[in-house]
Amino acid sequence: MEVFLSSAIQFGAIFLFGCVGEILTEKSGHLNLGIPGIMCMGAAGGCFGVKLVAMGESPNGVLVLLMGILFAMLFAGALGAVYAFLTVSLRSNQNVTGLACTIFGAGFTSFFLNDVVDIADVTVAGRLSFASLNFFNAHIPGVEALGWFGNIFLGHGVLIYLAIVIAIVVAIVLKRTKAGLNLRAVGENPATADAVGINVTGYKYTATIIGAAIAGIGGLCYSLCYTSGNDSTVEVTIQIIGWLSIALVIFTMWRPAVAIGGSFVFGALYILFSYISVAPAFKPLLRLIPFVVTILVLIVTSIIGHRETQPPASLGLSYFREDR
Amino acid sequence: MERVKKEPFIHITKREPMPWWKSLCIRVGAVLIALIISAIFISAASPRDRGFFDYFSSLFSGAFGTERRFWLLLQNTALLLCVALALVVAFKMKFWNLGGNGQVLMGCLACAMCMYYLGGKWPDGAVCLLMFVVSVAAGALWAVIPAIFKAFFNTNESLFTLMMNYVAMYLVAFFIALWYPNGTGAMPPLSDANLPTFGSGQAGRSLPIILAAVIVTAFIYCYLRFTKHGYEVALVGESKNSARYASINVKKVIIRTLVLSGALCGLVGFLLVGSINHMVSTSMDSNMGFTGIMVAWLGKFDPLIMAGVALFINFLTRGMAQVNTDFGFTSEALSDIVIGLIYFFFIGCEFFIVYKVHFNFQKGSVHPAPDFSMDAAESSSSEENGRSAPSPDGGDVLPAGGDAPVQTEGRPLAADADPPPETEPSPPEGIKRSRRSKKEEN
Repeated sequence: MEVFLSSAIQFGAIFLFGCVGEILTEKSGHLNLGIPGIMCMGAAGGCFGVKLVAMGESPNGVLVLLMGILFAMLFAGALGAVYAFLTVSLRSNQNVTGLACTIFGAGFTSFFLNDVVDIADVTVAGRLSFASLNFFNAHIPGVEALGWFGNIFLGHGVLIYLAIVIAIVVAIVLKRTKAGLNLRAVGENPATADAVGINVTGYKYTATIIGAAIAGIGGLCYSLCYTSGNDSTVEVTIQIIGWLSIALVIFTMWRPAVAIGGSFVFGALYILFSYISVAPAFKPLLRLIPFVVTILVLIVTSIIGHRETQPPASLGLSYFREDR
Repeated sequence: MERVKKEPFIHITKREPMPWWKSLCIRVGAVLIALIISAIFISAASPRDRGFFDYFSSLFSGAFGTERRFWLLLQNTALLLCVALALVVAFKMKFWNLGGNGQVLMGCLACAMCMYYLGGKWPDGAVCLLMFVVSVAAGALWAVIPAIFKAFFNTNESLFTLMMNYVAMYLVAFFIALWYPNGTGAMPPLSDANLPTFGSGQAGRSLPIILAAVIVTAFIYCYLRFTKHGYEVALVGESKNSARYASINVKKVIIRTLVLSGALCGLVGFLLVGSINHMVSTSMDSNMGFTGIMVAWLGKFDPLIMAGVALFINFLTRGMAQVNTDFGFTSEALSDIVIGLIYFFFIGCEFFIVYKVHFNFQKGSVHPAPDFSMDAAESSSSEENGRSAPSPDGGDVLPAGGDAPVQTEGRPLAADADPPPETEPSPPEGIKRSRRSKKEEN
């Protein structure tokens, strides 16, 4: 049970990154279906950044962490910028552009990790010392002494806490600051926001790129923190995580603070299959759980149709100032 | 016009509809630029000594090199085109069916179930007939579940269909594990109840599939263009309110259209299992659901253009596989990168077809009126017309051209469709009016 809850929180953090990134993007009125691809890019960038500094004899832990996060954000942000350019400046259809981003991001990550970073070579042959991967999972010393509480809540790597901190910061920015108010105005009605003098294009770009960068850390978190670089088909799993993160946005009603709890629930659902013992043939049925739950959540929220649970009004629509 | 102190450097206006050859030139140009960029990167990144032009020769030899490759190219194109056509029916209605993968997989699974349980016990002809019916029904079922919830509760269909993809994937994994408990998760090809082929070569195996695709294309073309159903689909897509006003049962149209969409995907699953692979695997859809969306979008929802786009995308996929081996890359994902790049350019170039960009080089200088072209003057005058007739809910923002793909061709939607039945009020007006007051998109 302890192990299960602890893993659920670890896995939930990946959802949390993706979900918070997508919330920020959607608040600007952009439904980014490219999040799965963008999270893949984060994994590619993170592995690349870690490889740059971790190949030596005794890599510096803080540097490894920072480089991983920095490059994950850079790569993911780059694809987010492409998405933003296509949908904000060139006003393409957001769904189609997002899917193109997903196809590109997944392909790029598969190619990049196999042919450029050579992740199999790096982790299997042990040239990237496992010590450096442990930096991602290093927890506060002495938490084992606290018993179950320490193991579940304090025994995680720094990325898990980073996810929570980012979620809280985004929640505060959206709710309590002027920038957040402007961003929400842009998402609800860009024409009105434009008339008030808010830089609509600027806000849309900023929200999309920062959102993508946050989601990118999620990819890094999966590839180097959760699986410790042992997953050779990262892009397949991350795509699934990405789609679930987008669904989670609806589940959490566009609130980053609610997303913290929601992510951990989804994390628990996602890893549930490996903690229930059934005949091996029935394992795939257990893996259905998160998807079926997502579908149920979608149905229930749509039936309730509460005012609070509505998406930003102009979500999915491009804005052209000279349009009528 | 009032004098303004500071002109924005870039000024964007809507363009008059462009002649088709001009827009075709822009699109082909965008694809060529993307191909050249990918050629430069790949020849630079290649571990082997391969040049810029080897890239193109590998690309062509991979797609057309041998007779077998040529037929495989046509076969894959046919399958992809069928999926894309299935999705187009839904997209015309602005129903984002992202579940093509799952619908194809369910068709595959249903077909494989018939082969597994009945193959060898019943006569082959009867099993084949049943396979067809069951596959089509399974695909339709997978599409109609989200459609029912969309119709009655307005549930978000794109995420619903996405999740159905994974449900289908794990169901396939479950049945394979159930049938072959000691296997490696792969299913061996079944020898009973295979669909008949014309002759023994690749050509004979591919021909029935190509034939099926031709029939489906003709059917969808006629369905969308010449039938009342097709007209209703387009009207619901343009505006649900005007459809309701025209006494169309929107719920019925949504469900009926998605049955058709899913059934076509199921048909693809039937062909994949019954005619090509004789077994089922979790990746049998080969992501055709997503690729089909791109084909549908890039093909402007026109079945004939889509056939060309599907051929081009398959040409790239098969060609890139050859480039992969020739250039010595270990990852198979290279084609995804190049195709993704081409998507970006293709999507991006639409902007230059719909809009015109004016650069204002005399920065900060004061001059009476900005140096607009005729196009700009046209569009600004039509904008004033629009202002004089304000929209019902107070100047609400319309979606930009990117959201109304049918109109980017400069052809009003109603011209595509049949003349309306007498009971309906003049539809082009209805469409226009509702586009002004539209809010229910999402």
